[in-house]
Amino acid sequence: MTRTPRLTSDTAACCWIPLFALRCETARRPELASLPLALLAPDDTRRLWQVAPLARRAGVKPGMTVSQAIGLCPALKLCEPDPVHYDEQFARLVAALVTVSPVVEPVELGRAYVGTDGLERLYGSPQQIVKEIQMRSAECGMRNFSEGSFAPRASLIHSAFRIPHSALRVGWGRGKFVSWVAATRAKPGEAVIVPVGGEAKFLASQRLAVLPLDPDTHRRLLQLGVKTLGALVALPEEAVVSQFGRAGRRLWRLAAGLVSEPVVGRVVPEPIVAALTFFTPVGDRDLLAHALDKLVDRALGDPRRSGWRVQVVRVHAELEHGASWLVAATLKDPAATRERIAAPLKTQLERSPPAGAVERLVVEFTAFAPGTAELQLFARDAGAAARAGRRRALQSAAREIALRIRRPMLYHVIEVQPWSRLPERRYALIDFEP
Amino acid sequence: MRNGTDRLRALNAPQRVRVELDEQRRPRVVKREAGNEKRVESFGENWRMDDEWWRQPIVRRYVEVVLEGGGRVVLFEDLITGEWFAQMPA
Repeated sequence: MTRTPRLTSDTAACCWIPLFALRCETARRPELASLPLALLAPDDTRRLWQVAPLARRAGVKPGMTVSQAIGLCPALKLCEPDPVHYDEQFARLVAALVTVSPVVEPVELGRAYVGTDGLERLYGSPQQIVKEIQMRSAECGMRNFSEGSFAPRASLIHSAFRIPHSALRVGWGRGKFVSWVAATRAKPGEAVIVPVGGEAKFLASQRLAVLPLDPDTHRRLLQLGVKTLGALVALPEEAVVSQFGRAGRRLWRLAAGLVSEPVVGRVVPEPIVAALTFFTPVGDRDLLAHALDKLVDRALGDPRRSGWRVQVVRVHAELEHGASWLVAATLKDPAATRERIAAPLKTQLERSPPAGAVERLVVEFTAFAPGTAELQLFARDAGAAARAGRRRALQSAAREIALRIRRPMLYHVIEVQPWSRLPERRYALIDFEP
Repeated sequence: MRNGTDRLRALNAPQRVRVELDEQRRPRVVKREAGNEKRVESFGENWRMDDEWWRQPIVRRYVEVVLEGGGRVVLFEDLITGEWFAQMPA
């Protein structure tokens, strides 16, 4: 692995799967596809996060409280969020995109930019680059994220394995903003390509909402009769600046296609090494296993590892009398936890232990996969990772109970109308389903 | 495997009971099912609630009681249908 000095690209392909988390749920539980479905917010289970089109048709919107939503759509099916699963699925998509270009910038769940500078010599025209992106994303399993995933099951069977029906929308253009707007204009499974030099013409007809506006600025612009980016650009730049300040200048320049923010990729870390020299040579396997845990912990704590999961780990030992010992493990599912990384190493330590006492033990992470199971992309704080870990343990226990009892016995208590004067309206149970 | 439990289920849903009233129309005996009846030992607060008059009116007369054996429950009379229900105290 070599360190690339700067991974940036002016031309970008924006890959976007709207309602990514919801699609993750319907992909793994197809029976949900035909229901008016909504996901509870990960940080506030009283509110909705993502809402399926069927529920939207009944008037349910993201951000609503559960009680408001149930009032509008009594048949609403509520799902608890599983951020770790969504993050893992998104990491798979990002990993697939990295096979097309080394410059990939994940932005949020379901949206990532791929830098495409220089790829024309490999794949050809922008159309061919986009086709390659669509192919790779389909290969990594995103084909299950079909647009039919929110349709009745009969149609799902037709569309499940056909790329054209994929929910992935791709926009190609110069800079992240143009490619993002192009992606929002693309139909599911299709792409919109904005030729270099044609940015201003393309953007002119787009709605104002594509700009990163705060609600107040949006409202003020609408009151001024500005409904499209073309209408905004028709105003003198200085007039917009005098009304909206520095933010106004940025908006005007974005709308005019004058701003081209490059895609910035992440540098794959070099091998991370943690070593321990024993005071006296150690032959005891328990002690070696303990030392292994400590070294894996230390290597995981290396700041260069942040944002990456470990795929290949090696352990080598210097033995008494100049001999050595080496084991390596390739993790099928890249991991960022000590238990999962150390487990295959300990198995090998049991099966084929060092031939002599160990003087020095070295753990080396040599290959990495983007994204992490500890929510680097989705929820960055350690508290969220801990919550996700607890949820995982609970889900595993719930699965076991469901297998043994064969009927749902676990429920989640949610607030419906905690202010209600009727006690039975205040709280409700929904199935806790792993 | 779904079993028709997709809907929300209310917590602390009222359970229908039969009551015998004393001369002041206060519950004297509470019968949950055949052979399971309990005498009311003491009364706590009582209150009336009128709600949702704009939709399907809800009119209830609540009384908090302690049953023989020490169980505390809230009983209410649906003043529209005349039925009695028991609920867990808040």
